[in-house]
Amino acid sequence: MKTNRFLPFMLVIIVMSLLLVAAPPATAQDEVVITYLSILQDDVGFNRVIGELSAQCLTDMPNVRYEREGINLDALGQRIDQLALNNNLPTLFSADSGPQLIELIDNGYVLNVEELFTELGIYDSLNPAAAAIAAAGVQGRGLYALPLELNIEGFWYNKQMFADHDLDVPTTWDEMLAAAAVFHENGIQAFALAGREKWPITRYLAAYANRVYGADAMVRVRDGELMLTDPGFIEAAQELKDMAESGYFGVSPTTLDYGTALDLFNQGRAAMYYMGSWELRSFNDPAQALIGTENIGYFNVPLVEGGEGTLEDFSINVGTTTIISSAGYNETVGEWIRCVFSQYGDHAMNTLGMITGFNVNNPSDDLPQLTQIVLENLDTANNAFLWWEAYFNPRASVVAGDNAQLLISDPGYTAEQYMTDLQAALDEGV
Amino acid sequence: MQKILSDRKAILLFVGPALLIYVVIVLIPVVWSVVYSFQEGTLLSGFRFVGLNNFGKLWGDRDFINSLVFGLRYAVFVSTGQIAIGFLLALVYTFYLKKASALVRTILFFPVVLPTVAVAQMFTKLFEITPQYGLVNALLDAAHLNAWIQPWLGQSSTAFVVIVIMDIWRAIGFYGIILYSGLLDIPDEIIEAARLDGAQQWKLVRYIVTPLLRPVLVTAIIFSLNGTLKVFESVLALTGGGPGNTTMPLTLYMYKTAFTVNQYGYGSTIAIFLTLECLLVTLFFYRFARRDIA
Amino acid sequence: MSSKRPTQSRAAQAVSVTAWFKNPSRWVVAVGIGLLLILALYPIIWLLLSSIKAPHEFNLRPIYALPEGFYAQNYVDAWTSGKFSIYFVNSVLVTIPSLALILCMSVAAAFGIEIMRWKLKNKVLLLFLAGILIPIQMVLLPLYTMYYRLQLLDNRWGLILVYTAFGFPLSVFLLTGYLKSLSYEILEAAVVDGASIYQVFFRIVVPMMKNSLLTVGLIQFFFIWNDLLLSLTFVSTTPQRTIQAGLLDFVGRFGQREWGPTFASITMSVLPTLIIYLILNKLVIRGLTAGGVKG
Repeated sequence: MKTNRFLPFMLVIIVMSLLLVAAPPATAQDEVVITYLSILQDDVGFNRVIGELSAQCLTDMPNVRYEREGINLDALGQRIDQLALNNNLPTLFSADSGPQLIELIDNGYVLNVEELFTELGIYDSLNPAAAAIAAAGVQGRGLYALPLELNIEGFWYNKQMFADHDLDVPTTWDEMLAAAAVFHENGIQAFALAGREKWPITRYLAAYANRVYGADAMVRVRDGELMLTDPGFIEAAQELKDMAESGYFGVSPTTLDYGTALDLFNQGRAAMYYMGSWELRSFNDPAQALIGTENIGYFNVPLVEGGEGTLEDFSINVGTTTIISSAGYNETVGEWIRCVFSQYGDHAMNTLGMITGFNVNNPSDDLPQLTQIVLENLDTANNAFLWWEAYFNPRASVVAGDNAQLLISDPGYTAEQYMTDLQAALDEGV
Repeated sequence: MQKILSDRKAILLFVGPALLIYVVIVLIPVVWSVVYSFQEGTLLSGFRFVGLNNFGKLWGDRDFINSLVFGLRYAVFVSTGQIAIGFLLALVYTFYLKKASALVRTILFFPVVLPTVAVAQMFTKLFEITPQYGLVNALLDAAHLNAWIQPWLGQSSTAFVVIVIMDIWRAIGFYGIILYSGLLDIPDEIIEAARLDGAQQWKLVRYIVTPLLRPVLVTAIIFSLNGTLKVFESVLALTGGGPGNTTMPLTLYMYKTAFTVNQYGYGSTIAIFLTLECLLVTLFFYRFARRDIA
Repeated sequence: MSSKRPTQSRAAQAVSVTAWFKNPSRWVVAVGIGLLLILALYPIIWLLLSSIKAPHEFNLRPIYALPEGFYAQNYVDAWTSGKFSIYFVNSVLVTIPSLALILCMSVAAAFGIEIMRWKLKNKVLLLFLAGILIPIQMVLLPLYTMYYRLQLLDNRWGLILVYTAFGFPLSVFLLTGYLKSLSYEILEAAVVDGASIYQVFFRIVVPMMKNSLLTVGLIQFFFIWNDLLLSLTFVSTTPQRTIQAGLLDFVGRFGQREWGPTFASITMSVLPTLIIYLILNKLVIRGLTAGGVKG
C-alpha cells in the first residue's frame, strides 16, 4: 500500500534536511578563532596582506585559527547592527566612520586603537597623518579605525594617448577639458566613469568644489559656513553636467559598473580615469593593465581659475577602515594583532607595492614605478580633503548619489536642482 | 462518527502547528508593522514614539510622490497590456486555433515560470549598449536603423518602456490561459444562437462574450493589479530604481528607506500605505463586478 | 447548463477548413501568433546559445551570431568562482524542506479545518485566507526585526520557516477546496471498521489527495525557487545565499565584464524550472492558474 510509504518518506526527508542544514562546524575547546568580516571579497589588497602575515604569525601560535569572510558594502551596515546587538561582532570588521561607528563607540562595542596599540607597544607603527584622517569621522572620540590603506585620488591617464595627440599633462581644469575635447574629436572616450556605482560621479563634484573653495570646502558645508547652493558648488555641478553632455564620459555612463569602467581604462579605450590609488593593485598588474604599467601616469585634480585650491591639496582617504571589537578581544588576539600589524606597513609596501597608513621601516629598493609616484605626491601634500559624501547623513548620501545619475543623464535636471535637493536633504538632519 | 470528528486533541495536532507558525511569522508582524509606523529609530539604539509624524511626512516627501506616480503609471500600462493581450490570446485560442492550440498555449505560458531575476538579467543583456551592443541594438545596427540605437536602460523614459515590455511579456501566457478557461465556460448554445442571429466576430465579442466573461475578467484584473502595484523584483533586477530614482516603485522605495537609509518607522508607513492602496483598488474593482451582476 | 470541455467548443469547430484559408483575418492572426511565439522563445534560446560562447565571440562577432562551439568553461567559471555551487545547493537545501513542511502541515490543517468539526473552524479558515491578500512588504520589516533579535538571520532554518509560513495561505485554501469534494461515506465506512481519526487521515485521505498535493507542491516550488525578496532580506552572507539573490550579486559584480559566465549563471538559475516545465507542463499550467483564478 502506497499510503504506508508516504508519511515515513516525508519524515525521512525532513530528518535528512535537518542533518544537512544544521551542521555547525566543530570548534575545539581551546581553539581561538580570529574572524575578519571584510569589505573586500577576494584575496587582494589588505585581505592578502593580513592573510599572509597571519599565516606567518600563526606558525608560532597553535590552537589559533584565522578566518575571513567577505561581505558587500550594501549589506555591511545591517550586519554590523545585527551582530552588535547580539554581542557577536567578529574580532575585526570593516566599517566606515560615521553615525553607526559613533553608536558602536558610545555603546562600548569597539576598542580604541590608540590605547590598544600603545598597550601592545606598536603605536609607532601608525603613520600619524593617516591616523588623523582615520580618526576624523567620529567627532572627536579618538582613533577607533585602522587605516589599512592610504589612498590619494586623482586623474590617471594613458601616456601614449596624450603623446599621440601632442597633449601636455593639464594643470588647470580648462586645459583638462581642452584635452578631453581633442580626444572626443578623435573618437576616443575622454574619461572612464563607473556611473552605475554613483560615487564615482560625485567625486568630480568634490574635486571641483575643493579647487574653488579650498581643501576645507566640505567641512565648511558640514559646519554650515557654506551652503551647497553657493555659486562655487553650482558651478561644479554645471561643469560635470557639461562634460557629460559633451560626451566625454561616453555613451550611457550610468549603466557602467566599476569593473567595466576600470577595464575601459586598463584596455586603452578611455584616456583618463579619476580613481583612488587603491587601484594600483590593477595598474601594477601587467595582466590587468593591458596598456602597460609604464604607460599609466598620474596628475592631481587640476586648478580652477580664481579658486582657492592649490596643487598641494590632495584628496586623501584611508579607504574603508577596519575596526577591532571589544567582545572578540583577548590576550591571544592581542598577540596576533601585535605580530601582524607591526609588520603590516612593510609587508604591504614590499610585496604588493601598496601604500598604507602604517609606517614602512625598510622599504625595498625595487618599488613599482606608480607606487613611487604616489609616494612622491604624498610627500608634497599640504592639505587633505575627503570625498563628497564623507560628512553627509545617510539620507543625503543616498540623494547625492541618485541625483548625480540624473545630473549626467537627464538634460532636464539642472545643476541648481541638484544642489538645492541635496542641501535640503542635509538640512533634514537625521 | 461525530465524536471522532470532534476529537479536540486531534484537531490541535492537525491544525496547531501550521496555525502557530502562521500566526507568529505572518500575523503578528502585520500588527507590529502598524505599530512601527508610529515610531522611528534604528535597531541598535531603539525606537521612540513619534505619533503621526511619519504619515505627515509622506505628503511632503517628493520621492514618495514620484514613486507613487511611477507605480501607478507602471501598473496601468502593464496590467492593461497583460489583460488586453491575454484577452486577445484567449479569443484566438477559442475561435481560431484548434489542434495547435495546446502547443501554442504551452509555449506562450513558458515565460511565466521563469525566475524574475533571470528574466530581468536577460533583458538587461538584450537592451545593453555599453560596453557592447546587446541583442536589440545589434539587430538595429544590422538592419541599418542606427537612429534607434540608444541607451535603453540609461534613460528613464526608455527604461520605463523596457520594464513594461518585460513584465507584459512575462505574463501574457498566464492571462491568456486564465481568460481562455473563462471563455470555455461560456455555453456553446449562446454562441451558436448569436451567430445564427447574424452576429459577426467583432460584435460577437463585444456584446456577448465580454459581458459573460465579466466575472473572470474582473478577477484577472484584480489579480494583475495586485501584482503590478507590488512590483519589486523585476525593477530591482533590471534598473535598481535608476537612473537616479526615476524607476522606483513604492516597494523598492520602502525597501531602500528601511534598509539603506535606516528609517524603519518611515519604511513601515510606506508599506502600510501600499497595502491600503492595493486593498482600495481590489475593493473598487470588486464592487464594479458586483454592481453589474445584480 | 454550460458545457465545459477541455477541447475546442463546437462553435469554433463549426468553421470549416476551406473557409480557414479564405478569411484574411486568419492570416493576420496566424502572423500575430507566430510573432508572439518567436518573441516568447527567442530570448530563451538566445540565452542558452550565448551561455556556451567563448569570450572572444562576444567581442568580435555580433551578439546574435550562433556559437562556434560548446564552451563549457563558462559554466565551470560560474559554478566555481561565481560560487553557483554554493547558491544552487543552498536553494535546494531551502526548497526541499520548505516544500516538505508546507505540504505536511497544510494537508493536516486543511483536513482539520474542512473535515473535522469544531466551533472556530470557519474563522480559522478565514484567517489563513486573509494571508493571500497580505503583501509581503507589510510583514517584511517587523519580521526582519524579530529575526534579528532571535539571531535567525543568515540562517537556513530561518529562511525555511519564512517560506513555510508564507506558503500556508494559498496551500490551505487550495487543499480545503479539494477536500470539499470528499465523500463522507468512505470516512464513515472506515470509522465503522474501527479506524482512528489518524488512520483515516493517513491511510485514506492523504492518498486520495496525491494529485492536489502534487499541484500545490508545484505551485510552491515555483514560488520558493524563484523568490528574490525574501531571500535577499533574510540572508546576506555568501555561504547562505540562495540562487536568485546569488544571481543578482553575481551580475552586479561580473555582469558587464564576463558575459559568458553571466549567461551560464542565468541559465543555471532557470534550468530547474525549465526542466520541470518541460516534463510536467500541463500540471504546472493547471496548478498556477488554479491559484490565480480562484484567488
